[in-house]
Formats: sequence, structure tokens, C-alpha cells
Amino acid sequence: MTRDALEIRLPRSTQTLFRARGLTKVYGMGETEVRALAGVDLDLAEGELVVLLGPSGSGKTTLLNNLGGLDVPTSGELSYRGMDLTSADEAQLTRYRRDSVGFIFQFYNLIPSLTALENVALITEIARDPMPAEQALEMMHLGGRLDHFPAQLSGGEQQRVAIARAIAKRPEVLLCDEPTGALDIRTGIVVLEAIERANRELGTLTVLITHNAAMADMADRVLYFSDGRVHREHRNASRAPANSLNW
Amino acid sequence: MISLLNRKLWRDLRRMKGQAIAVSLVMACGLAMMIMARSLIHSLKSTQLEYYESNRFADIFVQVRRTPNSMTTRVAQIPGVAVVQASVSVQITLDVPGLDEPASGLMRSLPDQGMPELNRLFLREGRWLGPGARGEVLVGEAFANANRLKPGDSIAILLNGRRLNFRIAGIVLSPEFVFESRPGSALPDNRSYGIFWMPYSELAAAFDMDGAFNFLALTISPGAVERSVTAALDRLLAPHGGRSSFGRSDHPSHVRVTDEIRVLQILSIGFPLVFLSVAAFMTNAVLSRLVALQREQIAILKAFGFSNSEIASHYMKFALVIVVGGTLFGGVGGVFLGRQLVGMYHMFFRFPELAFRFDYSALVLAIFVSTGAAILGVFSAIRRAANLPPAEAMRPEPPANYRPAFVERTGIGHLLSHSFRIAIRNLERKPMQAFFTVSGLALATGILIVPNCFRDGVEHVLGFQWDVVQRQDMSIGLIEPDSLKASYALRQLPGAISVEPFRNTMVRIHFGHTHRQLGIQGLPANGRHSRVIDSNSHQVSLPAEGLIVSSKLADVLGARVGDALVVEVLEGKRPIRTIPLVGLSEDFAGIAAYMDMQAVNRLLGEGDVISGASFSVNNARRSEFLTALKTLPRIGWVVVKESLRANFKQTTAASINLLQTLYLILATIVAFGVVYNNARISLAERARELATLRVIGFSRREVGAVLVTELVILSLIAVPLGMLIGTGFATFILQAVNTETVRLPLVLTASNYAFAALTVTIASTLSALVVLRLLNHLNLVGALKAPE
Repeated sequence: MTRDALEIRLPRSTQTLFRARGLTKVYGMGETEVRALAGVDLDLAEGELVVLLGPSGSGKTTLLNNLGGLDVPTSGELSYRGMDLTSADEAQLTRYRRDSVGFIFQFYNLIPSLTALENVALITEIARDPMPAEQALEMMHLGGRLDHFPAQLSGGEQQRVAIARAIAKRPEVLLCDEPTGALDIRTGIVVLEAIERANRELGTLTVLITHNAAMADMADRVLYFSDGRVHREHRNASRAPANSLNW
Repeated sequence: MISLLNRKLWRDLRRMKGQAIAVSLVMACGLAMMIMARSLIHSLKSTQLEYYESNRFADIFVQVRRTPNSMTTRVAQIPGVAVVQASVSVQITLDVPGLDEPASGLMRSLPDQGMPELNRLFLREGRWLGPGARGEVLVGEAFANANRLKPGDSIAILLNGRRLNFRIAGIVLSPEFVFESRPGSALPDNRSYGIFWMPYSELAAAFDMDGAFNFLALTISPGAVERSVTAALDRLLAPHGGRSSFGRSDHPSHVRVTDEIRVLQILSIGFPLVFLSVAAFMTNAVLSRLVALQREQIAILKAFGFSNSEIASHYMKFALVIVVGGTLFGGVGGVFLGRQLVGMYHMFFRFPELAFRFDYSALVLAIFVSTGAAILGVFSAIRRAANLPPAEAMRPEPPANYRPAFVERTGIGHLLSHSFRIAIRNLERKPMQAFFTVSGLALATGILIVPNCFRDGVEHVLGFQWDVVQRQDMSIGLIEPDSLKASYALRQLPGAISVEPFRNTMVRIHFGHTHRQLGIQGLPANGRHSRVIDSNSHQVSLPAEGLIVSSKLADVLGARVGDALVVEVLEGKRPIRTIPLVGLSEDFAGIAAYMDMQAVNRLLGEGDVISGASFSVNNARRSEFLTALKTLPRIGWVVVKESLRANFKQTTAASINLLQTLYLILATIVAFGVVYNNARISLAERARELATLRVIGFSRREVGAVLVTELVILSLIAVPLGMLIGTGFATFILQAVNTETVRLPLVLTASNYAFAALTVTIASTLSALVVLRLLNHLNLVGALKAPE
């Protein structure tokens, strides 16, 4: 895959990818009932970088899991490119995750018995239109660490392998749950740069959960969560580069 | 506070009940086998001892020719002799209602008045012989049962050529015939061979034995040496054809029971040991997993001030619950298996009462051994838990270290799929877990080989004996040797296609310091009925001079072809000659020696005589032939090959089926338990990894493959290894039970191996499927949240 091929996907449109209306998720029943999502209305467009901010338990992760097809809402509408995610079956959701979604987690979730290259190749072997695993790792400046096992990499390196794994399939959506939560600030910035770069160069809709208000500046849009709802929305006039952030 | 820890214990146990039960069951298999075998040893030994004591089983036995009763006084004077019991003992044939062929058996005399001093009978059913009663017999239980004979029934017995009808007074047992079988026969043939008793005066009169005896049983006084008594006895009885007295250790029935006890002793140690090692490791694996999962809890307990020993004893209790479960299952299982096997022993061994007797010392030993195994299993896990500094324990464990597996380092790494790489790297990182899973599966495969190996061995022996060696349809033996002319009369029997006479004689063969007593079979040089077969399955033509013996006998004597053997004839003129060993024959039951029939007759110097004949019979006229045979006088025994074969098959099939079922149950439990435990632990340890795979787009099937690949690799190693182990088990057991009277060849068939492999594969697959179902409930979101 050449640089030219990558460029083709760059032109931005504002086509809506996700559309959520009255999205509700209730865990448990009766006295133990918890309303994790209490009616979320939301549209997410191609190429956007959206930061979700809010206290613990405000419903950010639940929303992310619903967007990623890991969980289904209790009620409300949720569609991805017109596909109804609320009624999709197990196989359709697997297909959807495999083809369209890249995940990045707080604790990296690499396969400990596979090297950096193999962790990425695992995905490129099953994806529909992947980039070579080496290229994805190269994008994350990990060209020299291809044959290292997770236990031989630092936290920041592990997270960058995870990002390479997530973007290697050229997903349309990149979902990041506290990607810097376990990292120090310097390493955190490196990881955010990598996410920013994936969003910019691949035109991937990127949704990023954080507790850290400082990260809001790098977003196109910031959604403030509380009590299972989007409490407030803010659109940045311009995105601050990740390396300018400080916390 | 401790009670709260106990509550935690119960909740942990409930959460891990599947694994706890799996470990308990594997442990139970080992314990059940141990308890079963030890209880059976206890049952057999104590029953045997009590029976021998209460019914006064003799110490020494000797068969003689007609000897006056006055001789018993002289025997009693031999130093060391305590009690002497003389009787008449003869071979008979009889006509049993419902049995086509004539049955044969042994008739013993009982004193006209009162009980015999030795070898007293046990009355199972009916009554004793009435004083002065005539025309009545007592029948051994095995024969009576096999032929459905009841007291009051009538049977026709040929006594010295006269056919007489007898009423059955009672059904009895004798300590001399716990194993009631034709002399030299490996398996009982109770339908056509039985033991009978009648009053002395009546039997002696029929065989011209008034005032005489031909069988002696005696006990020796405490402290006397059996060997010096038998030597004195042989010297005294030599003029009366005393054919070498023997002690209990050569008594056929006694030897069979003793052999059985020896096999049980091997079983009670070998298998349980391996089962328990596997269970010990499984306990270790489960507890290590638990301790790893509960790192933080342990840290908190310690931070709250619980001591190391309190924490160690908490986890030790976990292991002990598994032990208690295992012992309970094992105890119940052992008693169940033991009762089944006692039932099987009833087919072979006749005791007044052979009840299953639980060996309590086995239970104590079982608790001791399994606790030891569990402690050994949990020791390292507990030490890890206790040694964990609280601060460190509260941090998540660092990611596991991996490296390319050995297979990849050979340079073929690029050929392997990712799930295969994950599997082999995991295996290499945890070699002990892999080792014990392989051991468990291999063991399960191995124990399945054993009973089928017995079955195939028996089948081979029977096929060899009856299709290759003995091609006749039936054989008869005369009460006394008769002239060759007798065989012309036999040729006239209706339906007889061909007749081959033989001349058998009892001898003692000496070589160096060793000697064995046996019958020499004098056969036609190139007989078509009883054939002498060499190790290449070719018929050996009997030379005009010289002796051919079975390789087992040559082994026992330490003789080789070309050596000169000293043959001491134990009947007639009792000549002693040196005869060269000219060849070896192959056979599987007993020891044998063959000579040309005319050479035997020359050796005996009694002219052309025969002691019996074999027949091939026109099948259409078979019943006619048998009916004619029943009326023939002077016939001591009859063997009909087909009924013998059918009876053998029935008995061996019943006992081998039982063993197969037992081993099948054990193997299935072990295979299932080992795989279940391994898969559960993998699932628990790798929940995050597997959930991650699901999240990034792997289907359930693909993730299941990652989990199962490891088990498939282990099974592929374990099953062939198990076949090797099973072959070893079978070889070892067969060698251990290999005696001069009974020996089985090691016959290994493809179907035996295939059955074992298939059974273990199916059990493992089912077990893996159970665990794979759990994969469907994998909480994707929860598993991703935080490490562990």
C-alpha cells in the first residue's frame, strides 16, 4: 500500500456515520436498576475527532460500547451508515467490528504471546482491506520493535502497537477508551499524537473518552456527559495539536 | 473473623465448583482403584484363610496307584505329619440331562461315616449323603449351577465302565476346588467338567479299591518343613506309584487364587499412583489460578492483619475440601467397583461366602495419600500467596513473558498460523501444566489398552490352541491304557471321520537341579489332529527318538536343544531314561512335552498301548456320535472342542466386558476431567485475551479455535504416548501374571489402539465443547475493563 492509495480516502465529507435518538441503556432490574444511558441524541460524522468528557459512571463507556457493537441499547435508535445496530445479530455485529471499528483500550489488551508485528498481523489477515502490518507499525514509529513481545515493550509502546492494530484495517471508526489513562504525560502525548495522526491521515471518525479536560482542545467537538446524557456540547474553532497539550 | 473467611471459602468453591468436582473425580478414580484393589485383596485373603481353616484344607497332596489303607498308618508316622486323609479319586464321565456331549469330572470318596478329617465340604444346598445310602452323590456347585442341577435330580455316571443312575443329595463346595476346573485348564469349563463325591464303600467297590486308596491329603504339624515331609512321603509311596507329592504352592486351585491376589496388588499400587499425581497437579493448577485471581484480596487480608499461616490455612482448606470430595467419591466408587468385581470372582472362585469386605486401612491410606497429593499440589501456590508483600499484591501482575516457541526457532515459524503460535508459545511457557494434561490424557488412553489387550490375547490363544494345534473335534481319555486294538473299536463309532490314538504318561523331567512333573504326550509323528507347532507356526514332525518340549518348559528347566534330559516315568515300571531335547514347541497354556507315540511305548516297555484318542466327526452325525460315546465303557474323560470354546468365550467375555466397562468409566472421567480443568484454567487466565479477540472482530468460532488448538496439540502428543504407556502397562501386567499354567501372549491390534484413541478423543472433545459454551457467555465489556 502506497502513500497515494492512502490519500484517496482523505477528502472529507460530512456524511453522518452514527445516528442515535433517545438511546437508553438500563442495567439490572428493580431496585438495582442503573440507567447508564438515559436518552442520548447524537450524530457523528466521518472524519470527526470527538472527545467525550465526564465523571465516572456518566455513561461515556456505555455509549462507546454501544457504538462499537459490544453491547446493545435497551431502547432508542442507533444506526451506523443506515444499518440498525439495535437489532443486529451476533454474526452481523462481529462482521461490523471486524470491518469497520478499531478499538483502543486503557490497558492496551495486546495478545501477550504474540509479537508486535503478529498482534497487528492478526487483524490484517482477517480484515477486508487492510494495510500491511509493518506499515501500520511504521506509522506508529515502531519499525524497530516489530519482533518484540508485549512484555518487552514499555506502556507507551504497547499502546502504540494497540493503535497500529486498530488502524491497520483502515476502520471508519476508531473508539478509544481512556487510551492514556495508564501512561505518564510524556508517553500520553506520544500516544495522542498517534491517534491524531490516524484520524488526520486516514480520515477515521475518532471517539475518545477521557477524564482529562485538557484533551478537549485536540477535538473537533467535545461532548460533556453526566447522568447518562449529553449535558453540553462544544465545538472547537480549531484543533490544538496533541503535542501542545499539557496536564 | 475466621468464620467469614470460611464463608469466602464456600463462595469461592461454589464459583469454581466445576473445576473442584473435576479434580475430585480424577482423585476419586485413583482412590477408587486403590480401595477396590485393596478391599478385594482383603476379601479374597481373609475369605480364603477362614475357609481353609474352618474346612481344614490340607497342606500336602499326593496321587498314588491302588495302595492298601494300612499304609496311612506309616504315612502318619513320618516326622512332621499331623493328620492324614486317604480317599479314592477317579476320573469319570457322565451323562447330564440337557448336555449333548458326555461331561467328565473327578469323583472323590467320602468316609462312609462322619466327616473327612481334611478338605471338609461345605453344604450349599440339599443334604449330606445318608449313612449307608447308595446311589447318591454330592455335586460341586460350579458344575451344578452351570448345568442347572438341583438336589433330587438324577444324573447318569459311568463308573469303571458301568452306567449307573445317581440322585443328587446335595450341592457342595470344597476348599480343594475353589477354582473348579479341568486339570491344566486356564479357564473354568464348568458345563462339561465337574467334581463329585460319593461314599467310599460304593466308589471303592466300583473301582476294585476295597481296603485301599489312591489319593492322600495331609497336614503338617506346626514347625515341620514341608519339603522334608514331601521327600519322605515320596520315598515311602514310590513303590505304589506315588507321583510326587506337592504342597499348596503347587495346588492348582490355590495357585489361581494366589495369582489373582498378586495381580490385585500390582493394580493397587501402579494405577492409583499415576491418577493421584495427575490429581495433585490439577489441585495445584486450580489453586494457583485462584491465588493469582485473588492477589488483591490476599493483599487486603494481609493489610488488615491476617497472618501468613491464617492465609495459608484458608487456601489449604480449599484443597482439603477437594480431598474430602475425592475421598468420598473414591470410597463409594471403590466399593461399587469392588462389588462388581466380587460378582465376577463368583464365576471363577467358589467360596462358601465371598462377600466384599471393605478394607478400612485402605480408606485411611486413601485419605492419607490424597491429602498428601493435595498438599503437594497446593504447596507452591500457597507459599506464593503467603509470601506476597501486601503492597506488591495490590498491583496487577506484569504481563507474562513469552518468546518464540522451539518449533518456530527451527525456522518453520512463518508457516504457522497465529492461533497455532499462540498455542505453542503458551504451552512452552507453562510446561508443567502441559505435562500433566498430557499425562492425564495419556493415562486415560493407556488404561483402555489393557483390557482389550487381554481380550485379544485370550482370543489369540484360543484360536491358536483350537484352530492351529488341536484340529480334532473331540478327544477322549481311557480310564486305563488299553491296547492299540481299542482304537479300531473307536473307529467304528457312528460319524467318526478319522481317529488318531495317543499315549500320554506322567513323568518327571530333570535337567540340572531343576525338575518338572508333567504328562508326555505321545502322538503320531505327523498327526493331523493334535499337532506340535514351532515358533514359526509350522508343524513339527515328531522324530523317532527324542523329546520336544514347550519353550516355556525349556526356559523353566534352563535347557537348550541338544541337551540331554532325564525322564523319570511315574507309572508302570517307572523307568528312568536320558532322552535328548530335539526341538521346541510353541504353546500358551501350561508346560508340555511331546514324543512320537511309539517312542513313548518303547520308553514304557508295555507294548503298543493307547491312553486315548482324538476324533474328527461328521457334523451331521454329531449327536449320534455323542450318544454312542455316552454308552462306551472305560472312558475317563471327554473334551468337545466346540462346547469348550463356547464356554470359554462366555466366561472370558463376561469378565473382560466388566473390566472394559470399569476402565472405560475411569478413562472417560480422567480424560473429561483433565481437559475440562485445563480448558477452564485457560479460559480464566486468558479471558481478557479472548475477549479482546472477540472485540477486534474475531468470531466465536475463531476465538474457540485459539482456545482449542492448545488442547488439540496436547491430545496429539498424549494419545500416541498413551498407546505406548498402555502397551507398557499390558506388557508389565502380562509378565507379572505369566505363570507356568497360564500365560497370555501380548497381542496388540489396531482396533484396540483405535478404540482407546477414539474414546479419549470423544471424551476430550465433549469436555472442550462444555467449556466452549462458556466462551459464549464471555463478558466482552467486563473482561476489557481492567487486567484481572
